[in-house]
Amino acid sequence: MYSRSTTVINRTGLHARPASDFIACSSKFKSKITIKRANDEDEANAKSIVMLLSLGLGQGTVITITAKGEDEVEAVDALIELVDSGFGED
Amino acid sequence: MTFKGNPVSPGIAAGPVFLYTPFKPQLEENLIPENAVEENIKKYEDLREKAKAELDAIRAKLEVEDPEKAKIFAAHNDILFDDAMDEEIRDAITYDYYSPEWAIHTTYEKFIRILSKAKDEIIRERVADLRDVRSRLVRIWYNVPEKNLSTLEKPVVVVAYDLFPSDTATLDRSKVLAIVTEIGGPTSHSAIIARSYEIPAVLGLQDAMTLLKDDEEVIVDAVLGDIITEADQATLAEYAAKREAYLVKAADTKKYKDVVAITKDGVRINVEQNIASADAMELEGATCTDGVGLFRSEFLYMGRETLPTEEEQVELYKKVLIAYGDRPVILRTMDIGGDKKLDCMEMPKEENPFLGLRALRLSFANLPIFKTQLRAAFRASVNGNLWIMFPMVGSMNDVHRVKSIVEEVKAELKAEGLAYSEEVKIGVMVEVPTIAVIADIVAKEVDFCSIGTNDLTQYSTAVDRMNPNVAGYYQTFHPALFRLIGHVIKSFNAEGKSVGVCGEMGGNPLTAAVLMGLGMRTLSMGIASVAGIKKLVTNITIPELEALANKVVNMATASEIEEYLKKELAELI
Repeated sequence: MYSRSTTVINRTGLHARPASDFIACSSKFKSKITIKRANDEDEANAKSIVMLLSLGLGQGTVITITAKGEDEVEAVDALIELVDSGFGED
Repeated sequence: MTFKGNPVSPGIAAGPVFLYTPFKPQLEENLIPENAVEENIKKYEDLREKAKAELDAIRAKLEVEDPEKAKIFAAHNDILFDDAMDEEIRDAITYDYYSPEWAIHTTYEKFIRILSKAKDEIIRERVADLRDVRSRLVRIWYNVPEKNLSTLEKPVVVVAYDLFPSDTATLDRSKVLAIVTEIGGPTSHSAIIARSYEIPAVLGLQDAMTLLKDDEEVIVDAVLGDIITEADQATLAEYAAKREAYLVKAADTKKYKDVVAITKDGVRINVEQNIASADAMELEGATCTDGVGLFRSEFLYMGRETLPTEEEQVELYKKVLIAYGDRPVILRTMDIGGDKKLDCMEMPKEENPFLGLRALRLSFANLPIFKTQLRAAFRASVNGNLWIMFPMVGSMNDVHRVKSIVEEVKAELKAEGLAYSEEVKIGVMVEVPTIAVIADIVAKEVDFCSIGTNDLTQYSTAVDRMNPNVAGYYQTFHPALFRLIGHVIKSFNAEGKSVGVCGEMGGNPLTAAVLMGLGMRTLSMGIASVAGIKKLVTNITIPELEALANKVVNMATASEIEEYLKKELAELI
């Protein structure tokens, strides 16, 4: 199991297109991946657009991404990098 | 049989009825034998592929026609392949022996419940998308072909309870002969779409869905508002001739589109255009109009999660101003509230939104957003002839307050060294009856006004124009409206200030004739009405129009006025 945290920096948060981009990335990996607010227990399947949206992760939220499986490190690192990139928003 | 409705987009058509109903399945628990799991997983996967194929087809079509709408269906694809829902559906088939359609139904139901509890309104709205995808899957399961307006096999008369933006987004214009709905008036979404596509439409035909049968041949006379069923050969022939005559007349009217609007006795009338975006297609109207009498700015704020920036707005306003050169462009500041809700702005839930915090009132409540719009408008003003108009002004307090905000904005720009034109005119939209009554006072303090006749009618007649129960009370030809508008025109003309109209009354030759007779010289309308209005103007004199108006303001009822105008102007419309 491998886990990392970061802060959502883009203005719209993990909604709409950024959420879509996030799912497109997570779905490429074989590991089971979850996402949650850093200070909360409720975790969601990070390959599910619906569950991701239901968390309502806006700008400034600290999130934790966890993966379990053969490509767990690559998966978490890639997703953290994507969130840190701000999804190409200004 | 002849049924009567409300003709909102003129024309005559005949053809088979297409009853347009959203698919509503009755589902109940349905189990599979324990040894049939694998086979049903396969069925579920096939079902999903079929749904994907449908979505891909819609998307491919929309990518070309309307990329914004295509995004909706891209999101539907994400939902269709959602990992968490997929897992639950497979589990329900494998361990609970649910049949695929029941597994889909229950799983989607569960996720709809989860999303409905989200704090964020934007996320709650996604529930509609989940419902849409679920209904697509279940419909395919029952082998019911998709019934939408993009995949029509032959030309039909579309009959529906009502049409929503999502229905018309994919509408195949070449196959829709006419539109008939149970609800809606001249200013409803269906009516606006029908007119812009030049599709004959009769709305407000109660129980249309039960009165008319699928595939039954009907005649739609959207000039008179008649729907005729069981027509015999003679009647069909009569309407075929009528249709020909109508098309000849419509073609004749089109010829007037590019003429300069001058009455027979030499009075120039400004025929301006209403626009709702800065799209190149809308700006093509610059070739045949005298300006923009109404530039709706709501599009800037709709369908997005963040507010438009000042820079973004400057660019858009500039584009429109440049397209029109010296001719005036009347920018109406955001007219949001009422029935229009936004993703990017917090708005209170209200019992009577049309009487609530809308338009200028909402701007006053969100000063930073309002000021950003004004700053952008003033910065763009150096590129053309900008007039700024405020919606929903109800009192002189509103006028004073808005003028002081304008002064603040100008002072800020000056201090920052940003250029703006000193020629920008400031005016009000007349749509609240109180401001119309004190027009003589208002005219002394503003540079111009434009009459928003749709809302003025709604507020004066005390009729919610979205409410079908009271649609008959919404009287565009109410004599009180002509008297009230006459007072506004007289007051502004007396001060030498410009007065125009930008509601439905400006584009309808019958009402436009009366307004010109009352002294109005500027009419603004949707591009589809320009040719018809120019035809009227070119073939009539001011004394004739004045005589007409004089008669009308002394009549007692709306129906009397409408009949009289139709008779008097029969040759010119």
